[in-house]
Amino acid sequence: MKLRMQITKDRDIRFISHLEYVRTIERAIRRAKLPAAYSEGFNPHLKFSLASALGVGVVSYTEFVEIELAEPMEVELAAKALDKALPRGIRVLAADAVANNTAALMAEAAGASYVVTLPFAEDISEAVASYNEAEELLFKKAAPKRKEKFKEIDVKFYIPKIAVEQKDGKTSFAFECKITPTGSMKAVDLLNALNEAYALNLPVEMADIERHTLYKVNKYGKKLPMLNKDAFKM
Amino acid sequence: MEKELTIDILSSVQKPARYTGGEFGSIIKPAEETEVTIALAFPDLYEVGMSYLGFKILYHLLNKEAGVQAERVYAPWIDMETKMRERNIPLRTLETEKTLAECDIVGFTLQYELSYTNILNMLELGGVPVLAAERGEEDPFVIVGGPCVYNPEPLADFFDFAIIGEGEEVMIELMDSYKAWKKAGKVGGRKGFLNEVVKIKGIYVPSFYEAMYNDDNTVKEVKPLRDDVPAVIEKRVVKDMNSIDFPNAPIVPFNDIVHDRIMLEVFRGCSRGCRFCHAGMVYRPVRERKPEVLKELARQLVDNTGYNEMSLVSLSSADYSCLAPLVHDLIAEFKEKRVSVSLPSLRIDSFSVDIAKEVQAVRKSGLTFAPEAGSQKMRDVINKGVTEEDLMNAVSAAFKSGWNSVKLYFMIGLPFETDEDILAIADLAKKVQYKYFEITGKRGCKVTVSASGFVPKPYTAFQWFAQNDIETLRRKQFLLKDALKVKNITFQYHDAKTSVVEAIFARGDRRLGKALLAAWKMGARFDGWSDCFSYDRWLEALAEVGLDKDFYAARTRGENEVFPWEHVQPAVSRKFLWREWEKAQAQELTHDCRRSTCTGCGVCQKLGVEIIDYKRGEA
Repeated sequence: MKLRMQITKDRDIRFISHLEYVRTIERAIRRAKLPAAYSEGFNPHLKFSLASALGVGVVSYTEFVEIELAEPMEVELAAKALDKALPRGIRVLAADAVANNTAALMAEAAGASYVVTLPFAEDISEAVASYNEAEELLFKKAAPKRKEKFKEIDVKFYIPKIAVEQKDGKTSFAFECKITPTGSMKAVDLLNALNEAYALNLPVEMADIERHTLYKVNKYGKKLPMLNKDAFKM
Repeated sequence: MEKELTIDILSSVQKPARYTGGEFGSIIKPAEETEVTIALAFPDLYEVGMSYLGFKILYHLLNKEAGVQAERVYAPWIDMETKMRERNIPLRTLETEKTLAECDIVGFTLQYELSYTNILNMLELGGVPVLAAERGEEDPFVIVGGPCVYNPEPLADFFDFAIIGEGEEVMIELMDSYKAWKKAGKVGGRKGFLNEVVKIKGIYVPSFYEAMYNDDNTVKEVKPLRDDVPAVIEKRVVKDMNSIDFPNAPIVPFNDIVHDRIMLEVFRGCSRGCRFCHAGMVYRPVRERKPEVLKELARQLVDNTGYNEMSLVSLSSADYSCLAPLVHDLIAEFKEKRVSVSLPSLRIDSFSVDIAKEVQAVRKSGLTFAPEAGSQKMRDVINKGVTEEDLMNAVSAAFKSGWNSVKLYFMIGLPFETDEDILAIADLAKKVQYKYFEITGKRGCKVTVSASGFVPKPYTAFQWFAQNDIETLRRKQFLLKDALKVKNITFQYHDAKTSVVEAIFARGDRRLGKALLAAWKMGARFDGWSDCFSYDRWLEALAEVGLDKDFYAARTRGENEVFPWEHVQPAVSRKFLWREWEKAQAQELTHDCRRSTCTGCGVCQKLGVEIIDYKRGEA
């Protein structure tokens, strides 16, 4: 069986990298003594995966880990054991189990919702309105690790609509971002694209980015939760 | 509290997880339960400091004490320091985010002379006056310990007191003393507490001593300023490693640290008696842990950390009396849990290679040996006790077992060394390479030769020796480099300039504190990192305070010269060291007392301790 758990990456540890997050979960699985399956070969590794990679500095209330077990274990017990073995800053929120032949979580994730807050007091309702009405918004994003190389993406394809709230000198954006088999885009690049397209001066380096949900969609485009309805809740 | 290290700061620095804590196993106690807060301060990067076993031990032990909160703090890298200074952000502990000024005690470990400027820098960033004399009633006590504490004098202006020797017992006594002093209303203020701690064995309060000098600038004496403090402070030592606590649930970092694995300390001390080796003198005597104790600790560590690798650490783990059965049992027991076992260093013999074969069943990436010197003469001078035949047997065993690359460690600039001895290093490397051809019939064995410049250390047989100057070290490096221009042999060496600064502080006196302060004010920090080190800055600092580098580094000391560090004692007798120095000149060997007769260093008798080795008397 495969265990699936919804876990967090809280504010206090938001600056650990994806690789560090993955390694931390691996060690927690070992500390929790979950009967996890290992790969064959000289350097056996634990069979587990995360639904999506999260950027350094991004807080998340909805990461998903999928762990393949060598022998079955009660979901509730496993969730509680893993929660205890994780550092403060990563909590288990919910868990369920699926058969080994179920598609990997990674393949199922179709979108994520974000809230991004930054200190910015100028009225930007016009820019947001024209963004929401625009057909497309092309943006050259830097290729990973190769700053001189750029890839052009249509931001509107990934993020069709944004909602904005401005008060107390702060600006908050709420939006949903598509995840496709060929990739997605970073929340921070939405801010960069807005700055570029509408000559805004959003202080991107101060952006407090939170991922609130991760979901799959059915063939009618309806959003569905990643875990089963009857999943165990902590 | 709004975080001072804001998102934009943390997003802009390298490896931000160094500064945010929250690791599994880190301990935060409620403020109302904390009577004393001690910051364990490591004067280097997080990744280096988190790999240090000494602080893992103290963190565990101190936090087990009721009312004691031990926390961690590391030197911020230049990028972070720049941000902190720009915005006036103080250096804080990772646990409860106290500034160093808000702690009761700030304890630095002295691992390496080139990290001393970081101590000054961290104090300032933490809001603590750098000079001990300038600290007031509200400031913390700044204390030091660790291997370099056996010559604490260059730092005497900066710390309030030093812990000499092993910390397990004395640190608890110190905590009790602090709690009592605080409970009684901090009687007598700072001075009152110093009056209390000086009664604890193994604690040195430099302000209670005065250093006097001769006309030739050598030390006349370091004498107590009052009658009720000891003239000589002897180190503290744990008698039985089986009865003291060992950290069974250390912090598991998020980052990739230098030694990111379980560290199981199999024994303490080493009595092989290599004449250049500081650790081999100051950590005496050898005290082993029982295999049963180690196996139980290993179980707890595997359970509590989730690590899949375990290293058996000590100064020379291949010398552990029960090594083969221990390794065998550990591998068997943890195979199921996919935990591998490793040894950090190998002895030069086929026994070590056999063990290495057992522990590295998979990766045959490379083996490292440390002959330390190229010629038999030089190996006898340093009392290495290893022959060329030993090395050939060891590498033969390795090549037969499938290894095809070897790394060899050497030192250059040793006493009584000639150019022939340097060239002998190259010959030895070539012979090792040829051995591979003899055994496998194939060419292409990779040999890496690493040669570091020798730095004479206090409390070693070579403490009288004048270090080779930069020109000599450089000439020797190039001599060797030219002799090693052979396919598949790589030569690695370090900048000789850093060895000189290391040597100045290793055998320096109190007056060097001024040079340290001056260099730091000129911007020195992270001197152990080649991209931060500036030799010219050090020369300028020394010149500014009127001190001569050669007086400290490149001067042969007389037989009866009083050393600046002699009031702080690892209990190795000076007579023994002088005899070893004379034997070095005569190329005579001294045997290891571990399983044989006493060689007269005096440590056991003086400190009332014994060698603990489970094969004692068998050899």
